[in-house]
Amino acid sequence: MLPLDLGFVALTDAAVLIVAKERGLFAQESIEASLHREVSWATIRDKVAAGLYQGAHMLAPLAIAARLGVGSDPVGLITPMSLNTNGAAIGVSAQLADEMGDGSAAALARAVARRVGRGDAVVNFATVYSYSMHTYMLRYWAASAGLDPDRDIRIVTAPPTAIVGRLKSGDIDGFCVGAPWGSACEAQCGARIVLEAGQFWPGGPDKVFGLSEAWAAREPEATQAVVRALLRAAIWADDPENAGELAGLLSAPRYLAAPRDLIAKRLVRDFVGLRFSRQAASFPWRSHPAWIFSQMLRWGQVDRNAGPARALEGYRPDLFRTAAADVGLSAPLTDSKIEGAYDGPWALPGSRGPIPMSSGMFFDGKQFDPDSLRDYAAGFAITRLTD
Amino acid sequence: MHPLDLRRASSLDETELAEFKPDLIIVACDSPDRDTLESLREATHGNPRPVVMFVDRSEPGLAEEAVRAGVAAYIVDGLQPGRVRSILEVAMSRFQLMQQLRVDLAKAQSDLASRKTVERAKGLLMKERQVGEEEAYAMLRKLAMNSGRPISAIAADLLSFHGVLKGGKP
Repeated sequence: MLPLDLGFVALTDAAVLIVAKERGLFAQESIEASLHREVSWATIRDKVAAGLYQGAHMLAPLAIAARLGVGSDPVGLITPMSLNTNGAAIGVSAQLADEMGDGSAAALARAVARRVGRGDAVVNFATVYSYSMHTYMLRYWAASAGLDPDRDIRIVTAPPTAIVGRLKSGDIDGFCVGAPWGSACEAQCGARIVLEAGQFWPGGPDKVFGLSEAWAAREPEATQAVVRALLRAAIWADDPENAGELAGLLSAPRYLAAPRDLIAKRLVRDFVGLRFSRQAASFPWRSHPAWIFSQMLRWGQVDRNAGPARALEGYRPDLFRTAAADVGLSAPLTDSKIEGAYDGPWALPGSRGPIPMSSGMFFDGKQFDPDSLRDYAAGFAITRLTD
Repeated sequence: MHPLDLRRASSLDETELAEFKPDLIIVACDSPDRDTLESLREATHGNPRPVVMFVDRSEPGLAEEAVRAGVAAYIVDGLQPGRVRSILEVAMSRFQLMQQLRVDLAKAQSDLASRKTVERAKGLLMKERQVGEEEAYAMLRKLAMNSGRPISAIAADLLSFHGVLKGGKP
């Protein structure tokens, strides 16, 4: 048995790792995996960098930032697969929801203007990390209504499990956080969810499996075995028949330590539901790091002259396809796609026949062509990428 | 040796942090405040602070590996009190070294960019004024001296004005 240490944060989207362990899918590949729960993304990154863990559940933008050496020294990380799409949500406190009236970004802009007019405190949002889809989604949404996220609102960082408490204490007025913590805010403090990731960008990136590049190079066969186990786990987690059992597994004290019903709420098959495998959810689309890089440019997180090549090369559809072939999973034939191009069901060409897909439209109808990411980043009304 | 002015906090207080301005923050590896600390460090580019962490299990070579990997320092349990100061000093000096490298790299990149601009402006003058390389450079230098601005700024102006005169967009 090959020992393997993997890190995760207590979130529903760590499901694929947990299922692979609990359903014996790692063992079936002769891997003796130990899962370690961490409370901070920085620690996950550092422990992979230091070789304590070979891989981990990671925010897709964290894996890219670490690879680029943004926010830390460069870390040799690759992304052979995604762990989920959908699941994150923007929510606001009951009080801010009253001030807003409806749940639109325009309503937030009006509420912010009224607070400024009255001389009240600025609206505070918490997200989980500077390099996260949560941050980009919140910034994108606020900016779509003319709010400058660095000037008109305040965004702070707090761990997902702490967000409920900070909302209760009135420290923050809103949040963008992954499942099940958005539902916990709803249930425990009357927060209102105003935008689901599945509405913002259905099928967009969220968490990935970040793997040590050095370890993968040293252990190519074990790497394949790990990805096979995780792909099988994703297929199992995605089956609606297993949703009840999955919620039970995740709710255990050593994993999410959260109520089973709360977890089950986001395992449904509607627009808010997490996808683990269906609709190519586990495929490492290179258009995802391209979009994430466009937002890093947009918000000045990377040098304006930096190029995306290194970020894109970290995504490894080649590793995915080999493992998918062994598992019998149909893998997309292209590495990249135009994001937000389809408003309705469509068929994605795959290695074992077409993969049924649904709408991938951004909430504002904008499309993203990875080949012109600079123009895209510069094309927003609010952007730091100006000439 | 200077005495250390030490403060303990069970959780992160941003107001106290801003007021105290520590040279160094020591945080336990399992502290949920780590991500918040990192985001504060990013928000204050001018005043980044090295973060030292304690980890909960001791493995040979871990601290060295972590330092090499870019974490300011990892310190394992079972550390003799006498070694704390030297480890903190190593973490800080390594951090300052990395900061200096970042500044140097940024400067080298901007130097390279300005050298390219000067080269292009020189080429333009040589072509338009039918002069040799040395004379073109002398013209740029004279313009720079007359206006009291860096030669790379003069070169950039020249290139953009030339673009406008040729019908490009300003």
